[in-house]
Amino acid sequence: MSGALAPSAILRFSRHELRLAWRDWAWIFSGWRNTSLRRTLIGMGLVYAVLHLIAYAVLSPQFAGGFQLDQTALAVISVSVLLSTTMMLSQAIESVTRAFYARDDLDLILSSPAPSRDLFLVRIAMMAVTSWLMSALVLSPFLNVAASLGGSHWLAGYLVILAASLTATGAGVLITLALFRTLGPRRTRLAAQILAAVVGAAFLIGLQVVAILSFGTMSRFALLEAEFLSLHVPAASSLWWFPARAVAGQLNVLTLMLGGSLAFFAVGAGLGAVQFRQSVVRALGVAETSPKKRAATRAFRGRSPLGALVSKELKLIARDPWLVSQTLMQVLYLVPPAVMLWVSFGENTEISVLVAPVIVMATGQLAGGLAWLTISGEDAPDLIATAPISPATRLWAKVLAAQALIVAVLLPITLTLAALSVWGALITFLGAMIAAACAILIQLWFRAQASRTTFRRRQVASKASTLAEAGASISCAGATALVAAGSALAVLPVVLLVIVLGSAWGVRPRGRAV
Amino acid sequence: MPTDSPAALEIRNLHKRFKDPAVNDLSLRVKAGEFYALLGPNGAGKTTTLRMVSGLLEADAGSVSVCGIDAFQDPVAAKRILAWVPDEPMVYDKLTPLEYLEFVAGLWSMEADYAQAKADGLLEAFGLGPHAGERCGGFSKGMRQKVALAGALIHEPRLIILDEPLTGLDAGSARQVKQVLTDLVSKGVTVIMTTHILEVAERMADRIGIIAQGRLVAEGTLNELRTRASAEGHSLEDIFLKIVGGGATSEALTEDTLKIGEKVA
Repeated sequence: MSGALAPSAILRFSRHELRLAWRDWAWIFSGWRNTSLRRTLIGMGLVYAVLHLIAYAVLSPQFAGGFQLDQTALAVISVSVLLSTTMMLSQAIESVTRAFYARDDLDLILSSPAPSRDLFLVRIAMMAVTSWLMSALVLSPFLNVAASLGGSHWLAGYLVILAASLTATGAGVLITLALFRTLGPRRTRLAAQILAAVVGAAFLIGLQVVAILSFGTMSRFALLEAEFLSLHVPAASSLWWFPARAVAGQLNVLTLMLGGSLAFFAVGAGLGAVQFRQSVVRALGVAETSPKKRAATRAFRGRSPLGALVSKELKLIARDPWLVSQTLMQVLYLVPPAVMLWVSFGENTEISVLVAPVIVMATGQLAGGLAWLTISGEDAPDLIATAPISPATRLWAKVLAAQALIVAVLLPITLTLAALSVWGALITFLGAMIAAACAILIQLWFRAQASRTTFRRRQVASKASTLAEAGASISCAGATALVAAGSALAVLPVVLLVIVLGSAWGVRPRGRAV
Repeated sequence: MPTDSPAALEIRNLHKRFKDPAVNDLSLRVKAGEFYALLGPNGAGKTTTLRMVSGLLEADAGSVSVCGIDAFQDPVAAKRILAWVPDEPMVYDKLTPLEYLEFVAGLWSMEADYAQAKADGLLEAFGLGPHAGERCGGFSKGMRQKVALAGALIHEPRLIILDEPLTGLDAGSARQVKQVLTDLVSKGVTVIMTTHILEVAERMADRIGIIAQGRLVAEGTLNELRTRASAEGHSLEDIFLKIVGGGATSEALTEDTLKIGEKVA
């Protein structure tokens, strides 16, 4: 194969890629149902309008007396851009890895007479474009409101987001290629997915940890106080604040950022496109194999149907590093309270009031993910459904497997907390288990047969269950904190929890079976 | 067909409607120890029927009896003696064939030592012995199909239902599977199989049922079908196409077909 792809062919392929990206997003936002796309778009439009109102409420006081690009503003805007970039980088690593390993249309592309280098170049460019579009959509209410209140130069923010997406995509390609070279095709997939999860959460969590170590609080905004900034961050003229200056429309800085990111993207995308074919061929040659061939003569263990089901669920989760890495995101949020515990060890016996809600919230979210895996993510539904066991046993086994994993995660944290406050540890454990039970219950009500590979999309598949899960976790977290503080107001979140569960029960899909 | 012999499967007036009727007043009876091939064009209702028999789908009306057990009234008891093998092999990528069989044995509450001996025998019979300790994720479709089939056989079902079991199998694997099924029938196990490979049905099946538009339109031994379709000396493919129409679509049913259906009823 030689020669370059004709411009018309590049255009056609770009259109094809955009169509696929759009359908993917439409499919996700409509909860995997084509029929509700129009309603979804109307809903999204309403949310978009509300976001503009929120942005107005946040920004109007800043613009009321003339906007000052002081150190706090520089820090807030630059940190926001950096935060968006880490999210885009996480997404880029994920997308590039998927492009390597997901079979989809790779056979067609690799067997076609078109130069795969050009096709992959278009694909990488489309990754940057879709990443830009999504980030721009999320941040646009703030940019639009800033432009209407402070002048059109704030629209430069769109170009800054483009620069960030180009940089993130270029970096995503280079990082994945580096992993491919150093770790090989077999290990890259897992390593890249873990890296993507860590990058996605690390910056946010890092800010929390620094705030805790500096102020003993878990608020990220503590870092943005003027006193702290004047002591710890670079001067206003520093390169660190370039993103903020570019967002504010400083043309020279904007040009420099955009030019730099374009050059970086060109290098990353160019190298990626050249090496893509070879990498993809190697990646596709990697079959699922046992890490170590297991002894074929191991004696069978006599298990009840319930025991067999629980054991199978635990084994499948333990052996799926991809799923473990996806749930890692949720467990990562337990790092700040862990740091808080460490910092406060032996000093504050009421620490459970601060830590308990975070642990309860994280446990609720983790339980939701695990329950989805065990209840909905069944890869052999026909086998389970034709086994001579009652539906109750079938579901109970899956609930039990999710609860066992939750207890395994929760126990070490509870024991550490018990060293500070036995009462606090007990309340936290109970609160977390109730949050887990609520999340599992919601997953039971909203269960739908799905492949485990769609785990990442479970939260958009049913917005009602996602909202209910979040509402239940927040209610449990609030109730736990108030009980730990000895406040009678704990009854309020309990009432809220009952309302959330009642509403979820009311809107649950009827007539589904697993 | 004598009606007083014990039936491995008896379906009476089964109905299932999705948007349109998928199974329409279907009745059939399969004797114990019989190899029964269920044929029909795409969308005829074969899989829907068998999924209702296996307890994977609720029927709108009708009854299903598996070896004398009412499958709708006592599904757990019926499932204990039944095995279902879907066309897409559903095995766990992260389990080895041996672990998969151990799991299935647990679901059917089998005694561990006995299950292990059965598992070893089945893996050898299907040529999976050397792969017993490897995870199924790296297996070809044929190997996965054989693992699924081993899972269906380990609990020694009296009735085994297979939906297109030979799809995707190479010649060697297909022969292994056919041999295992033939052996099972010779031991008194009842096998019901859907297939689009008519030569297999022609050579292996004791009786053949043809479904179209959710109804049983023809049933009998190959010779009986030849006689009823006035197609003496013709192959099953000729008979099948004559019954369901040349286009092999359910809309293409001819008046002749319906007459054959009346004979069945």
